[in-house]
Amino acid sequence: MSSVEKQAIFRDVPGFVPKRPSFGQKIWRSRADYLYVAPAILVMLVVIAYPIYYTIELSFFNTPASLSLADKQFNGIDNYVTILTSPVFWKVTWQTIVWTVLSTFFAFLLGLGAALALHREFVGRALLRGLLLIPWVISAVAASYVWKWLYHSDFGAIGAALVQLGITDRPINFIDNSTSALYSLIVVNVWKEFSFAMIMLMAGLQTVPDSLLRAAQVDGANPWQRFWHVTFPHLSGVSTVTILLLVVQNFNSFIIPFIMTGGGPVGSTQIWITHIYELAFLRQRWGVGAAYAVLLFIIMMTLGYFYVRALTRGDESRAGA
Amino acid sequence: MAQVVLKDLVKTYGSVYAAKDVSLTVNDGEFVALVGPSGCGKTTTLNLVAGLIPITSGDIVIGDRIVNDLDPKDRDIAMVFQNYALYPQKTVFQNLAFPLMMRKLPKDEIDRKVREAAKVLDITHLLERKPRELSGGQQQRVALGRALVRDPAVFLMDEPLSNLDAKLRVQMRSEIKRFHQDLNATIIYVTHDQLEAVTMADKMAVMNGGLLQQYDTPANVFANPVNMFVASFVGSPAMSLVPLELSSSNGQSALTSAEGWSLPLSERNARKVAGASSNKVVLGARHSTINLHKTQMPGTVPARVYTVEPTGDITFVQAFLAGAIVNISLPPSVVVAPDEQVWLEFDQDRIHLFDGQTEMALRAD
Repeated sequence: MSSVEKQAIFRDVPGFVPKRPSFGQKIWRSRADYLYVAPAILVMLVVIAYPIYYTIELSFFNTPASLSLADKQFNGIDNYVTILTSPVFWKVTWQTIVWTVLSTFFAFLLGLGAALALHREFVGRALLRGLLLIPWVISAVAASYVWKWLYHSDFGAIGAALVQLGITDRPINFIDNSTSALYSLIVVNVWKEFSFAMIMLMAGLQTVPDSLLRAAQVDGANPWQRFWHVTFPHLSGVSTVTILLLVVQNFNSFIIPFIMTGGGPVGSTQIWITHIYELAFLRQRWGVGAAYAVLLFIIMMTLGYFYVRALTRGDESRAGA
Repeated sequence: MAQVVLKDLVKTYGSVYAAKDVSLTVNDGEFVALVGPSGCGKTTTLNLVAGLIPITSGDIVIGDRIVNDLDPKDRDIAMVFQNYALYPQKTVFQNLAFPLMMRKLPKDEIDRKVREAAKVLDITHLLERKPRELSGGQQQRVALGRALVRDPAVFLMDEPLSNLDAKLRVQMRSEIKRFHQDLNATIIYVTHDQLEAVTMADKMAVMNGGLLQQYDTPANVFANPVNMFVASFVGSPAMSLVPLELSSSNGQSALTSAEGWSLPLSERNARKVAGASSNKVVLGARHSTINLHKTQMPGTVPARVYTVEPTGDITFVQAFLAGAIVNISLPPSVVVAPDEQVWLEFDQDRIHLFDGQTEMALRAD
């Protein structure tokens, strides 16, 4: 008789205290489940866990400017001190914040506007929806090159158009000018990302109960009041998730700044990821790059925590409704 | 409060009529139920009155104003929705205050009116809660309250009880009836449940296929259905309808079945069937007016028991008669078994006769 059978038999006997299964027993009982997830866990250990471990380890070492990592020397938290005391760090961080906040804000705002416009019935809605999705689905690399040419100070279409229209005397130096470059890239990023916010919010809009809007209409709310009192609060969950995803995505941006300006001119479009890439792979400062990456990792995990919390809180309120 | 008049109301979607020539008058203080199966046009009609959808043609008069082109907010109506439609992010107080806020009433007046309505509906203790923290019945009461604070001319209610469980529905049914009596409110109430209509309404408007079939008191609709649809829709279990052929021999009219039996008609019923457009006549009878016999008697017709459903104080029997299913109610003391041969006796004064072609009730005069 197995212990499980024994417990089943004696369960109703007064004074019988069922033995709690040990940790090993629990695993052994669910051995099939663990076997099923084993391949995925193995892959993740190799491609995620180990690199994270190695990056953290590397962040405590001084690496020579050669590719021979065997010569690395332990230097404690020197790399972190170097980063936090460097004026470049604060400049890049500020640029990253500007990049992330402005990109997220305008991508969300534009996405919300587009979603609201496309939520109404009108002729050509499906076509317009398809067209507005294009920025999101095309390759970021291709889009970056196209925009680079559009912005070009000598041959750019935007500059030419502005001159033709008589708005400016000569083409504007969009991305070769350290004051306008970052904002020019943000425009590209917003253009690339707003469709994502649009799709998310369109899905959210479809879940706004029609009866609530009708109730508000009967209660005397005008279209703006209906939006403000019914639609917008209803979108709060999906908005939180969308904004968090945009923040994460923007914090991790690489392709657009790397291809369009490579961080220049004079570092004016350098953001964290491009900066880390430059430190590690162009200047071979592995240790400092790794320390940067660890800091970024901490920030990302914090955002990830809020993301998961926003998602699960949505579940609770739905279950409670 | 005010009266509501619908004149030849039409709503079309493309070539489909959602409401066709609906005309009825709801008197001041009257409780009228719009009743019918899904897709019959009752909710459409209610939304037309509310102004939530534009009318195709016809007139809607609330009080002494034609409101055809007015916005819902200007029609002096309040609406209660099937799923309550409470604003989930607002507290009960804010939900009740919302229609008053939209009217830009002063704050202290809003506060006073909300508390008054809350007191009437016994939800004062819930004012600070959010809708999701309330039970179905409480949410329903808040929805009523939100309609009540506005002091509207007409209350429009769209299946307000169908989301509640059976027990609560019965309780809220009497609460809404009480609400109507206390306020002397004009109420138009949409339901697919004929029992709700019969128990609550002063008058019921039975709709089908966008057409108003009958508009009368529940008692009259029950006793004198104008056509086969109304007959089969109102009453539970439904009125049994048996298609038969009209025959006459020696000046005596009778209904004959394909099985060979015939049911002689009384003199008054014979006068009714004389107006039929063909010899196809449908016999209608409510379960309580049919007697069941275990042996053949004069004036009875043969039937075969299909199912037996004991409910405690009444046993419902379904039997096959001339190819149709007939509902009969019996005291529980009478025991019948499925497939048993029985004989049915119809009460000539209480049967209904319908024209088999037009499906309209046949009248004696």
